[in-house]
Amino acid sequence: MQRPDWAPETIDIERPSVARMYDYYLGGSHNFAADRAAARAMVDAVPEAPLMAQANRAFLRRAVQFLAESGIRQFLDIGSGIPTVGNVHEIAQRIAPESRVVYVDIDPVAVAHSREILSGNDRAAVLQQDLRHPERILAHPEVTRMLDFSQPVAVMIVAVLHFVPDDDRPDEMLRTLRGALAPGSYLVMSQASDDDRHDTGEREQAEAVYRRTDNPLFIRSRRELAALFDGFTLVDPGVVWVPQWRPETPESAEDAEKAVFMGGVGRLGG
Amino acid sequence: MFARAWAKAVSGTSYLPMTQAQLEALLHRLTVRLAGALVSEPFDLRAGHQVGAELVAAHIASAEGLGRTIEVIQLRLLRDLGLVTEDVEDRMPRLLATVATGYARALRDRTLDEQESIRRAAMMARAEAERALRDSEARFRHQATHDPLTDLPNRTLFTERLAAAIDSPGRGADRVGVCFLDLDRFKVVNDSLGHHVGDMLLVSVADRLRRALGEHLVARLGGDEFVILVERTAGTDDVVKVAEAALAAINEPALVDGHELTVSASIGIVERPVAGTTPIDLMRAADATLHWAKAAGGARWTLFDADRNRRELARYALSAAIPAALERGEFQLDYQPLTSLRDGRVLGVEALVRWRHPELGKLYPGSFIELAEETGLIVPLGSWVLAEACREAATWSSFGTAAPFVSVNLAVRQVHRPGLVREVRDVLERTGLPPERLQLEVTESTMMSAVEEPVRALRVLADMGMRIAIDDFGTGYCNLAYLRDLPVTELKVAGEFVAGLRAPADDPASRTDERILASLVSLAHALDLTVTAEGVETEGQADRLRTIGCDAAQGWHFGKPAPAARLLERLA
Repeated sequence: MQRPDWAPETIDIERPSVARMYDYYLGGSHNFAADRAAARAMVDAVPEAPLMAQANRAFLRRAVQFLAESGIRQFLDIGSGIPTVGNVHEIAQRIAPESRVVYVDIDPVAVAHSREILSGNDRAAVLQQDLRHPERILAHPEVTRMLDFSQPVAVMIVAVLHFVPDDDRPDEMLRTLRGALAPGSYLVMSQASDDDRHDTGEREQAEAVYRRTDNPLFIRSRRELAALFDGFTLVDPGVVWVPQWRPETPESAEDAEKAVFMGGVGRLGG
Repeated sequence: MFARAWAKAVSGTSYLPMTQAQLEALLHRLTVRLAGALVSEPFDLRAGHQVGAELVAAHIASAEGLGRTIEVIQLRLLRDLGLVTEDVEDRMPRLLATVATGYARALRDRTLDEQESIRRAAMMARAEAERALRDSEARFRHQATHDPLTDLPNRTLFTERLAAAIDSPGRGADRVGVCFLDLDRFKVVNDSLGHHVGDMLLVSVADRLRRALGEHLVARLGGDEFVILVERTAGTDDVVKVAEAALAAINEPALVDGHELTVSASIGIVERPVAGTTPIDLMRAADATLHWAKAAGGARWTLFDADRNRRELARYALSAAIPAALERGEFQLDYQPLTSLRDGRVLGVEALVRWRHPELGKLYPGSFIELAEETGLIVPLGSWVLAEACREAATWSSFGTAAPFVSVNLAVRQVHRPGLVREVRDVLERTGLPPERLQLEVTESTMMSAVEEPVRALRVLADMGMRIAIDDFGTGYCNLAYLRDLPVTELKVAGEFVAGLRAPADDPASRTDERILASLVSLAHALDLTVTAEGVETEGQADRLRTIGCDAAQGWHFGKPAPAARLLERLA
């Protein structure tokens, strides 16, 4: 029987969650046995998985830093996951305390956890919603309360798009989001990619691990990811392996393709 | 130098939410602390503990992070900082032990804290999901039990509450009341102002009922039907008060979409002890009572009346039994003579239907013809009467030219049916009865119909030689002018006029009736119609009718209705 639209989902911690697996890769303990088992299986298949997650998290940090230093004071982080360390509001508010951040995640546990972390911070909010329904995100009262769309907003879709198949039309989701943004707004995206990597069977193994979660994996090439920035102007250095995006030290960009994630930052013109 | 090597060693062991420079600055601070601990007197365990704890606090918090930290300190600290102390061989292992202890303690605490935190989040999420599920179930339940237009409870909820009021334990001694309410002429609003306005009117009525009858359950059953449940009544008055409040609320003029609408309603009230009744009984009774209120003109409440209900049910049962009775041959015909006032000869006989009901005995037309007309069963019944009368009349041919014609009543519905001519023709062919020996009696209203078809059919039948009589003449519209153009051969004057002739001839009222009859007869004769008087009961009446010039008479004075055999004996 199909679950009717009005029936909410149940919470099943026996089922691995990609948000908590990500936390495990980052060295956190905000995870359950099922998450750890799935994450370990992923590490068996792709030993660099934790490094990938860390590299991606570092990309997020550098991107937010870049945006905050560019004057962006509003952030919409879609697919924010478990707020472990180095969250957007921590980075942004350290640079500009008036910065406002809305986190969005589909995982109810991640949302509940975020709510607890954010309690007492009146410039940060969290809501449960699906990237695949951007119109619902944009219309959500927390979003309209916290963010002023007549001013630039940075939309973060970091390490999320590889959970969205092309059939779900990510291009249309991004068009909807872009339509709501004022000129000077930014889009930050990263996702798993296999450009230039030798086919070692890792991709199949990684996809097999993620089929056990609610979010199977869909890997995209650099070209496909760059195409999703349609309407935005990519800032230097464009869509690259995430360690190569404005690295702090030259050596931190070495062996960048091992990071598996590609990412970029685009600016809405005008 | 050492701090940089340390930073390189731990990077990648877990996610470090800081820049390389920040990391090096932190580790430089910790390096100074470690160096101090190696040289200070006395040796301080706490310094190593603090360094371990600070590493974890800075998210350098993994098993690998600890291993590499110990390795880099052991290998490079003394050398890089150029430290020389006499008991370093003794102090270094102790320092490493305190760093490892402090680190492990902090990591364990952090792990436990994070586990608690994520479990709490899972519990909160589950509680939230359960609350959402309850809300959605409540929403679903509300949708399933409420009318979407007015948001009043719907039939489902009303039925549940009524059943609970009747069947719940401990309520056996209660009484319960129901007001079944229906707007008067709601269809007119819908038809003239549109369904949109009709819907808005229903919403307005629902609001007013809700306001006026707050504590009682008001439900919308559908269309413009509402029902009010009055629980734990002390008697009929309690429900009547509710019904009056409902009627008053509905009577308030309402502004609906720019139209000021004043509507009225009819209410059927049932109030009775819960013992011995069922929700179905109660609603059926309320429905019937609502129809009485409507039939009485609406804008009122009507109380259920068990006797009336029983009579109506009996009538209904009787009409429902007609088809089976036809099949079983429970109907039969009696005949009443139509006698010439000139020579006393029996000109014809009127066929009158009787029902030999297996339980109720012999029933006369008065108890079932009206019902049969209402339900349309008059059509098969009338067909049977026609066929049976013709069949019997055909057997009277032995009387030769003296054989009486048979007069059969045709109901409005029969005359309006398209197949009438063919049906009559078929019956005559089948029975062999000559058309001249069949008279069809129709009422004035049949002839007055705006539709031409019935008149055309009767004209065809008249042209075939049949006699057409107008029955009960004088009780209807009574327009003599139209008779000229109709295929009519005879008028049967209603018994009411003839009854006046029973009084003494010098009674003024009686004289008036006689004069009316006299002019009727002369007019009829002027139109070349014969006149038969109905309901003639006395010799005096017969004499006066004969004097007036009336052609024939029918009534007890000339013979009661009787089976054909008995009638024929008299004729023979």
